[in-house]
Amino acid sequence: MSHDSHHAPVACKTELAPERSDLGLIRPDRTTGWLDWLTTVDHKKIGILYGAFAMFYFLVGGVEALAIRTQLARPDNDFVTARMYNQLFTMHGTTMIFLGVMPLSAAFFNFLVPLQIGARDVAFPRLNAFSLWTFVFGAFVLNASWFFEFAHLAGWFNSFEWHKALVYTDFAPANGWFSYAPLSGTFGQNGQALRFTGVGTDFWIIGIQVLGIASLAASFNFICTIINMRAKGMTMMRLPVFTWMTLVTAILIILAFPAITVALIELMFDRAFGANFFNPSAGGQPVLWQHLFWIFGHPEVYILVLPAMGIVSEVLPTFSGKSLFGYPIIVFSGAVIGFLGFAVWSHHMFTTGLGPVPTAAFSLLTMAIAVPTGVKIFNWLGTIWGGRVRFTPPMVLALGFIWMFMCGGFSGVMHSSAPADSQQQDSYFVIAHFHYVLLGGVLLGLMAGLYFWFPKIFGRMPNAPIAYIASGLVILGFNLAFGPMHYLGLAGQPRRTHTYHAGNGWETWNFVATIGAYILGIGVFLAFVNLVWTAFRGKKCSNDPWDGRTLEWSLPSPVPEYNFAQAPIVATRDAFFEDKHGTKRIGAENDGGEAGVHMPSQSWMPLLASAGFLFAGFGMPMMAMGIPHAGWIVVAGLGVLFIGIWLWALEGPGGYMLKTPAASGTPAPTETVAH
Amino acid sequence: MFSRFFSRVALLAAPFLAMIMVGCSKADMTVRQSTLDPKGPVAQVQYDLFMKTVWLVVILFALVGGLLVYAVIKFRFRAGDENKPAIVEDGHGNPLIEIGLITASIGALVIIAIPTLTAIWYTDDVPAESVPTSKLSVWYPRVEGTRENYAKAVEEQVLEVDVIGKQWWFRFEYPQLGLTNDAKHSVPNEMVIPKGVAVRINLRSEDVIHSFWVPKIAGKVDLMPGRKNHMWLQARETGHYYGQCAEFCGDSHAYMLFRVEVVEPAEFAKWVQRQKADAAPVVAGSKADKGKALFAAKSCVMCHNVGGHFGAGAFAPDLTHVASRKSLAGAWMDNRDLKEQRALEQKTNNTESSVAVDPATLKANLIKWIGSSGTSHDANGKPTKDVKPGNRMHYYKMFNVAGLNETKQTFTAEELDCLAEYLLTLK
Repeated sequence: MSHDSHHAPVACKTELAPERSDLGLIRPDRTTGWLDWLTTVDHKKIGILYGAFAMFYFLVGGVEALAIRTQLARPDNDFVTARMYNQLFTMHGTTMIFLGVMPLSAAFFNFLVPLQIGARDVAFPRLNAFSLWTFVFGAFVLNASWFFEFAHLAGWFNSFEWHKALVYTDFAPANGWFSYAPLSGTFGQNGQALRFTGVGTDFWIIGIQVLGIASLAASFNFICTIINMRAKGMTMMRLPVFTWMTLVTAILIILAFPAITVALIELMFDRAFGANFFNPSAGGQPVLWQHLFWIFGHPEVYILVLPAMGIVSEVLPTFSGKSLFGYPIIVFSGAVIGFLGFAVWSHHMFTTGLGPVPTAAFSLLTMAIAVPTGVKIFNWLGTIWGGRVRFTPPMVLALGFIWMFMCGGFSGVMHSSAPADSQQQDSYFVIAHFHYVLLGGVLLGLMAGLYFWFPKIFGRMPNAPIAYIASGLVILGFNLAFGPMHYLGLAGQPRRTHTYHAGNGWETWNFVATIGAYILGIGVFLAFVNLVWTAFRGKKCSNDPWDGRTLEWSLPSPVPEYNFAQAPIVATRDAFFEDKHGTKRIGAENDGGEAGVHMPSQSWMPLLASAGFLFAGFGMPMMAMGIPHAGWIVVAGLGVLFIGIWLWALEGPGGYMLKTPAASGTPAPTETVAH
Repeated sequence: MFSRFFSRVALLAAPFLAMIMVGCSKADMTVRQSTLDPKGPVAQVQYDLFMKTVWLVVILFALVGGLLVYAVIKFRFRAGDENKPAIVEDGHGNPLIEIGLITASIGALVIIAIPTLTAIWYTDDVPAESVPTSKLSVWYPRVEGTRENYAKAVEEQVLEVDVIGKQWWFRFEYPQLGLTNDAKHSVPNEMVIPKGVAVRINLRSEDVIHSFWVPKIAGKVDLMPGRKNHMWLQARETGHYYGQCAEFCGDSHAYMLFRVEVVEPAEFAKWVQRQKADAAPVVAGSKADKGKALFAAKSCVMCHNVGGHFGAGAFAPDLTHVASRKSLAGAWMDNRDLKEQRALEQKTNNTESSVAVDPATLKANLIKWIGSSGTSHDANGKPTKDVKPGNRMHYYKMFNVAGLNETKQTFTAEELDCLAEYLLTLK
C-alpha cells in the first residue's frame, strides 16, 4: 500500500513524518490501533464502530427488558419498585430505538452505501465521524442517568445540599420513551415550573437532542452521497434496494427529527426556564406535545423498519437466485410508505378526543399505508416464486422477517380501525403489535443483514449451525413472549403498569411471556457471541460466498480502504450478478491515473467537536439537579463544540493519494465462487 | 427429499401450532377486564368491529402465509439446479399482477373502512335514539316521591357523569343529581350507574393525562388536562365491573384502578339518596370518637371531606361513605373477602358478581393504607414501603408551596386502630 503526500510518490504512509494540516497541527495517520479508531474517517471502520456500539446497547436494552419481564412474571411481584420499573421501560424503549436499531441501521448505511454505489467514501467523511461520536456521547449521557440513579440509591449524594433540596429524586428517566407532557413537563402558574418528574427527564431530553443531531448529520451525508457519488452508469433506478431504502430513511430523518427537536427544546424551556408550552395550568397544551412527538414518532417507525426492508430486499433475490420481483414498485412503495408515514401520526392519539372527523381521516390513512406495505410483501413472495431458494442463516432470518412482520402488519390493520383501537390502545395488544414489527420484523431483518454481510465486512464466515440455533431460539422465544401479549391486551392488561393483582386472568400468560423473553434473550446473546467470535476467529471465506448480486461482492473481503481499485462503470441493475453470469460486464474507469486515488485524511476534530456534547449533555441535567456552577459545564461544552468545529474548518480538507493495485492498468482481480 | 423437507417444516411449525391451540383453549375470554366480553352497546360495536378485522386478517394471513410456505417449499434449491442457467429470465415483475394485488388490497380494506366510519360516529357521543325527548327536569330532586316514575325516567334519559382524574385515583361527580365535589358529595373510585341508561361521561384531569377504560362497557378515552373530552356508555347487565387508568401517569400508574357498579334503576335512586346523606354521629368516648379527633388533629381533614363531620377538604377522596365501598386506595386494595369472591366467580361463572364488603378486610386495608402511605418514614423514623409510591397522603413536599412544605404525619399502632374504627363507621 503506497501513498502520496502533495503528489510526491513515496513508499508507505506510516514511514513518513506525519502530515501537517493548514493549522500546522499534525494530522493523525495511524492505520491500526485505538488512535486509528478514534480518528478514522473511513466509512467502513465507522460502520463497524456503529455496529459494535449498537450491539452493546442491544444487550443493555435486552437486560432492561428481562428485568421488566421478571417483574411481571408473577402478580404483585416486587422484584423492582414502581419507579424502577418505569425507568426500566423508559430506558428499554429509548435504548432499543435510538441506541440499538437506529445505529445498527446506520452501521449498514455506512458500510454498504458507498460500496453499493461504487464510491470510495461518503460525501463528507469527517462529518460521518462527527455523527458517530455524537451518537456515542449522546448514548453515554442518556445511560449515565443510570449511574446517577444507582449512586443516589446507594446514598452517595445524601450529604450534598443540592440533593437535600431536590423535590423529585428520579435520576434515570421515568417518563416513558414518548415522554407525554405534562407528566414530563411542568404545572403551576406564574412561572413556578413545578415538575411531575425529576432530573431523569432532563437526561432524556438532552440525550435525545444530541442523538438527533447525530442522526441529522448522518442523514444529510447519506443523501449527498447517494445523489452525488454514484459510479458511472449507476442511475437511480439501478441502485440496490438497500441504498434506495437508505435514501428514503435519510429523507424521513431530516423531515421528522426537526419536529422532535422543536418539541424537546420547548419542553426543556418549560422545565428549565418556566416557559408554558405544555403547562395546562398556564394555558399550555399537553396535546401539542403529542402532535409534535408523533409527527416525529410515526415516521420514526418507518425509519426503523425501512432499512430492514432494504436488507431483506437484498437477501431474498440473492438466495432465490432471481432478481427482485417488481423492483420499481418496491422502490416506489418504499417512498410511498415514507410519504404516508407523515400522514398517520394521529393514529397514536385516537383516544385523546380528536373528534370524529380527524379520527376518521387518520383511520382511513392508516388503512391506506397497509397497501404499499402489502405490496412489498407480495413482491418478496414474487421474488421467491419461480426461484431456487437456498437456505442459509440470512435467508432463514429474512423469511422469518416476512412472517413476523406480516403478523405485526396485520395487527396494525386491527389498530387502524379507531373504535376497535380504543379497546387496544395502551394495552398489551399494542406491545405485541409493535414488537412483532420491531423485533420480529426489524431485529430479524438486521440479523439477516449481519449474517449476510459479515463475510464481506471481516472476510470470515459465521458458524452456520450456531446461527440456525440462535435464530430458532430467537423466533421461538419471541413468539412465546409476544404472542400471548395479544391475548393479555384483549384481556384488558394496560401497558406501563409495573404490577397487577391475581384474579384478572393475566397470571398464566404473563409467566409464559417471561419464559419466552428469556429464551429470546439467550437466542440474541448466542447470535451476538457467534458474530463477535466470527469477527476475530471465524473461518476465512471467499470474496463472494453467497453468489452476490451487487457491487460490494465484487470487492475483496475485508474491503481495502480505497474500496474500488478503479471506479466501476455500471451497465445494469444487479451489476455484479450480470457481470458473472450474464452478458453485461462491469466496466472500469482508471480515475486515479498515475497519481493514484484521492483518500481523505484522518482527523481529531470530529471527536473533539462531539465531545462538546458530552459536557453540555452532563451539564444540563446537573443544572436541573441544582448542583452549583453546573451551568458552566454547559458553557464549557458548547465552547468545546465551537472550538472543535472551528479547528475542523481551519485544518483544511487534507487528503492523500493512494496507489491502488489497479493503477498500473490491470483490473483488480475479482473472485467468483460457485455455490 | 420433499417429505424430509416437509417434515422439517412441520417440526418447526408444530410448537407454534401447539402454542396457538393450547392458548385458545386455555384463554378465558370473560376475565374481569376482557374486551372480548362486551356488556354494553359501545363495547359491543367495538368488539364487532374488532372481530371483522380479525376475520379479514385471518383470511389474508392464511392466503399470503400459505402462498409463502408453498413458494419456499416448491421453489427450493434442488439437486441439479446448479447446472441450470444462473439468470432466470422472467423474474422482473408483472404489472398486471401488481395492479391486481393492489386493487384487491384496497378492496379488502374498504370492507373494514365502512363499518369503522359508522362506528366512529356511533361511539363518539350519545346517539339520538338514546335521547328521545329532553325531560331532564325529572332528574332533579322533585321526582323523589314516586319510585316508578323515577325509574322510568332514569331508563329514558341520559345521565351525565363527570370523571375527574388525579394522580392516582378517579373522582366521579353527577352534576344533574347534586353529587359534586362543590356540593361535598363526590364519589371516589367506584362509579355507580343504572342498567340500560345511556351515560354521557365528561372527562377532566386535574394534573397529568389519564385514561378512562372499563373494557366490558366501553373502550378508553383520555382525560387531558386543559381539555374537555367526552364519551358515552351504557351497560346491559347489572354487576361489578373493573376499570383501570390506561395512560401512563407516573409512579403509581399501575395502582390507578376503579370500579363500575351497574345496578337496577330503582336501586340507583336509593344509592343517590344514600350518597347525599351525612355520616352518622359517632358514640362519644368510643375508639371511633378518638379516631375522629385524630382525623382532625393529624390534618386528614385538610383534604378529605366527611359529610356531617368535617367539611374543609375538597382535594382528596370524599370519605363520607368510605366503609360502604368495595375497594380502597384507588381501587387497588380490595375490601371484600377475596376467597369468597373467587368462589363466587367460579360458581356463577360470572366475573361481574360480587360479594359484600368484609369489615375485617376493610379495617386491615385501612390500617395498612394509612400507616404506609406518602410517609417516607414510619413512627420509628425508618423508611416504609408505600402502598402507592408517590401518593400525596399526609406528605405535601411535592407542592413546595409555603406553609404546606413537608407536612409529614406519622402514626402509632393505636392511633391507626382508632382512625380505622372511625372510618369503619362511615357507611
